[in-house]
Amino acid sequence: MIKYLKKYYIFCILAPLFMFGEVYMDLLQPRFMKTIVDEGVLGLSNNGVGDLNIVIFVGIKMILFVILGGLCGILAGVFANLCSQNFGNDIRKDCFKNTLAFSFEQTDKFSTGSIITRITNDITQLQNLVAQCIRGFVRTGLIIIGGTVCLISLDLSFGTVIICALPVILGCVIFFITKSAPIFGILQKKLDDLNGVMQENISGARVVKAYVKEEHELGRFSQANKGLVDTQLRVLTLFAYMSPIMNIFLNMAIVAVIYLGGISVKGGNITPGAVMAAVTYITQILNAVMRMNMIFQTVSRGMASAKRLNEILDTEPSIADGGFDGETTLRGVVEFKNVSFGYGRSMILKNIDLTVNKGETLAILGATGSGKTSLASLIPRFYDVSSGQVLVDGVDVKDYKLSKLRDKVSVVLQKSELFNTTIEENILWGKNGASHDEVEAAAETAQAKEFIESSAEGYNSFVAEKGMSLSGGQRQRIAISRGIIKDAEILILDDSTSALDLRTEAAFYKSLNERHPDITKIIIAQRIASVKDADRIVILDEGRINACGTHESLLETNEIYQDIYNSQLKGGVGEVE
Amino acid sequence: MAQNNSAQMNSYRLPGARIKRQRGEIEKPENGGKTLLRLLKYFGDEKLIFAGFFAAVFVVVVCSVVVPRFQSIAIDAIAAREFGDLPGILLCMLGIYAVSCICTFFQNILSAGLSQRIVLKMRTELFDKIINLPIRYIDNHPHGDIMSRMTNDVENISQIISQSMGPMVSGVLMIIGTVIMMMSLSPRLAVLSCLTVILTISITKLLSKLMRKFYLKRQQLLGELNAEVEEMITGYKTVTAYNHKELAAEKFAETSDDLTSTGILAEIIGSSMGPCMNVINNTGFVIIAAFGGYFAIKGYISIGVISAFIVYAKQFGRPVDELAQIYGQIQSAVAGAERVFEIMDEVCEDKSGSHNMDGAKGVIEFKNVNFSYYEGKPVLKNFSLKVNAGQKVALVGATGSGKTTVVNLLMRFYDIDSGKILIDGVNIKDIELDELRKNTAIVLQDTSLFCDTVRNNLKYSNPDATDEEMIRAAKISNCHNMIENMPQGYDTVISRSGQNISQGQCQLLSIGRAFLANPKILILDEATSSVDTRTEKNIQDAMVSIMKDRTSLIIAHRLSTIQDADIIVVLHNGRISEMGNHRELLAKKQRYYELYMTQFSGRAT
Repeated sequence: MIKYLKKYYIFCILAPLFMFGEVYMDLLQPRFMKTIVDEGVLGLSNNGVGDLNIVIFVGIKMILFVILGGLCGILAGVFANLCSQNFGNDIRKDCFKNTLAFSFEQTDKFSTGSIITRITNDITQLQNLVAQCIRGFVRTGLIIIGGTVCLISLDLSFGTVIICALPVILGCVIFFITKSAPIFGILQKKLDDLNGVMQENISGARVVKAYVKEEHELGRFSQANKGLVDTQLRVLTLFAYMSPIMNIFLNMAIVAVIYLGGISVKGGNITPGAVMAAVTYITQILNAVMRMNMIFQTVSRGMASAKRLNEILDTEPSIADGGFDGETTLRGVVEFKNVSFGYGRSMILKNIDLTVNKGETLAILGATGSGKTSLASLIPRFYDVSSGQVLVDGVDVKDYKLSKLRDKVSVVLQKSELFNTTIEENILWGKNGASHDEVEAAAETAQAKEFIESSAEGYNSFVAEKGMSLSGGQRQRIAISRGIIKDAEILILDDSTSALDLRTEAAFYKSLNERHPDITKIIIAQRIASVKDADRIVILDEGRINACGTHESLLETNEIYQDIYNSQLKGGVGEVE
Repeated sequence: MAQNNSAQMNSYRLPGARIKRQRGEIEKPENGGKTLLRLLKYFGDEKLIFAGFFAAVFVVVVCSVVVPRFQSIAIDAIAAREFGDLPGILLCMLGIYAVSCICTFFQNILSAGLSQRIVLKMRTELFDKIINLPIRYIDNHPHGDIMSRMTNDVENISQIISQSMGPMVSGVLMIIGTVIMMMSLSPRLAVLSCLTVILTISITKLLSKLMRKFYLKRQQLLGELNAEVEEMITGYKTVTAYNHKELAAEKFAETSDDLTSTGILAEIIGSSMGPCMNVINNTGFVIIAAFGGYFAIKGYISIGVISAFIVYAKQFGRPVDELAQIYGQIQSAVAGAERVFEIMDEVCEDKSGSHNMDGAKGVIEFKNVNFSYYEGKPVLKNFSLKVNAGQKVALVGATGSGKTTVVNLLMRFYDIDSGKILIDGVNIKDIELDELRKNTAIVLQDTSLFCDTVRNNLKYSNPDATDEEMIRAAKISNCHNMIENMPQGYDTVISRSGQNISQGQCQLLSIGRAFLANPKILILDEATSSVDTRTEKNIQDAMVSIMKDRTSLIIAHRLSTIQDADIIVVLHNGRISEMGNHRELLAKKQRYYELYMTQFSGRAT
């Protein structure tokens, strides 16, 4: 994490320097005040007759110095903020980038709520830590050190007081920091939980309402909320002890200084004025230590956050880039070689051997949970196979540079995830920088053109949060447009026409075949109508290929296919014919 | 405008680019004073604790005033070489210190409890509000931004309340005390020091206005950033599939940079407060010294009064300085509070209604219903439909013809513009909303399961159900075997992204959940779209018995799903174009017939 700070080392140095200036001016100012009061107003050296000129002259001088000190203070703030916020910004950007490179499992491991907390709240805590370190820490540190030096210079016996008090105070600090550090870790964890409940409730709002579970959810939230608040309270309670305990030691130091001062005065070593000065210095140190208390809270919390951010930064994406970035002679060929795959120990796909040729339309049919989506997910390498090989254009997917591989494959997912922006931009996701004509062409192929253009703002219509402003079928067609505009060699449609009415679906397949005959198409579907025109249909059954053939041949020979066919026809057929 | 549009079309922008401008227009800093007052109301229930806290702070302040007095007595004793008195004085000091420390401890503990209870209450209220907001609000606001208000904004308030309450009260007490002392010494000079106060207040006002603007903008941007992370992380299968990592990161960097520069500005203004106050205070000091000197020379006041007065003038500076800094922090809290109150001010769903549905049979009637999500774009036009108790009604039609809207209206996720929806002859607006929803189970197009065990997900609709009932529902929805095969059976935890089960399996689970609710009306909105037709058929066969006395409303594209419905309603552009059972509609050879033919064209032609 230190390496992120290196970039801003100039600010890191400048901020304390200006801070030094401010503190220095702060220390000068009492002397001006003294001159103004003693000489100007009271006229101590002039038999009690004040001199207004001194007041005004020294006064203006003091104001100038104070302004200079103020400027130093502002600049110190400027540089400290430049440093801490830019530092945090860099880490935030890297965290986000790294998160996007995670595999699906890894994101799941962290959970969405936690990733969000880390990228926002934890970063803020870290920024506070840095800002406090280079400003507050330096400032109070300077005051404490300066005060101590001044104190010792008055009389060495005061030094012994400091030497006795410092270890105790240091011990206190170390004790509280080690005590609080784990609690701060828990605190951020609780914040994750709260975020998690929030997220589930907002994205599942319809289900919560439909089952009238508001009370239940409120209970669940209250639990998370209470967990967070209780942890927060534990921290605050801990620090509630810290400041009085540290204070009492410093207060004892003041008493000791006066007592030792008394002895020294008695011995004639120093003047009573020096004792007074010593008390002033120690009070100053005391105030600084009090301020330290707050700084330590920020620091401890920042440390806990830093640890959590490091977890993200240090996690290596489990699906690593391969080295292959060249051109392949084959285009649009997918080959599964004895592929087995499972998310855990049990295998979802077993010994799959399958080749899909360029320009071919291959349909995959099978029962719920038979592994259709898993099979398709292996092609763009969302997951790695457990054994066997998946080849795209003759090259193992593991050897590809991920971006190269994913450029070759376009997947329209089962769940159409749309983004909160215009329709046009949602389609443009498929191809960065495509022209409006291309967008229109893709929408036309996906049968989305009509409904898009009939809406008042056309392609500039806004898609509401999670696509809720559109019907399921409209969402799917925009997602399909996005998949088509990508213009990849291989197009995978993972049950992505399920919400289309049959006529629209038929029109879509027709225009897809006409306009993009060369694309290899892999279609996962439930309806016979969606797949019957495919070149080949694969029947998946419990993770194995049960049969593979055309609609006609399967209808004749395959029991499962016949079964599926009949389940979709039921009664009405007689009347049709 | 047109030019603007075409420029947008040609240049590629990432999602979210426009929202910023939109949101920027909506949220302007409002009256800070009002927000602060509202924030203070949360202290209302804590009067006793606050009184205790106040007392503790008061003692601490008194101690910190008294101690210097003892210090000077001690030093006077040293100066007078009366060393015998010293131990007694020092013991007194130690006593006062002890009292002060104990009170500081109480001050800390009380303020900790106070601030956390307030935050607890505020969050609970906010959450209670959010879950009771109409679906329309949730659909139209970035989810990440709503979350950010709950966490980042409330967190901000929490931190500031717990950190600045102590110094604020002691600062105010110090100032009041000092002012009283100054007034009693010399009203004339005291008036002069008012000049400092006026200057302080006006500068504070000026800076705070700026500060609140930037703090609010910062919190908004933080919300936007949160929204972006939320959207990209939840939709990141798409991000990955489309190789959008780089672009998403770039867009994120943009927001992140915006947030950083706003944050830097806000913090710089915030941290300038201290130095500015320092300058003002010292200027005030010089003014007092100058006039004091002048008055002394003229003989208006005695030298002794001036020297005392100057001590107080010095003392005056510190709390003012501190208060100014706290004021800056409070601005940041107010900015957060404004965003929290913005949600709290939204109108909740109207849940009132006097009718219950105890004896409901499930007769549903739509009477001339008109509805639009956005004004001027009607979705349902003069829609009328009557469903008798126990009937199975199917809605079919092209996508976007308004099928899901019918469901949204029946569940009162959205309210109709005109017309009436009746259940057993009672307008649903007159039925208590919870009653209505409890008696209507729904399975949605997009299933959402919770990150919890399968058991809890199934029992979500009916926590009182026994395990036998649950298993029966699971068997009817064809997911019992699948659950049994999971590593921990019914106790398997479904991962947040639903990764360990497929979309189709999700649908089966949510159908099971709906069955377990034992509803009077069952709505299946594309509930089996990702389920294969054979499984679907099994479910349908199993459903026959349990749906005998219930009204069901089924939306599907797969005609096989709905063929045996009692009434099939064909929707077209928000109107009913045909109605009847499967045979009747086929015989009509109109829209339904055409739909049917496309499905089986392979065979029929």
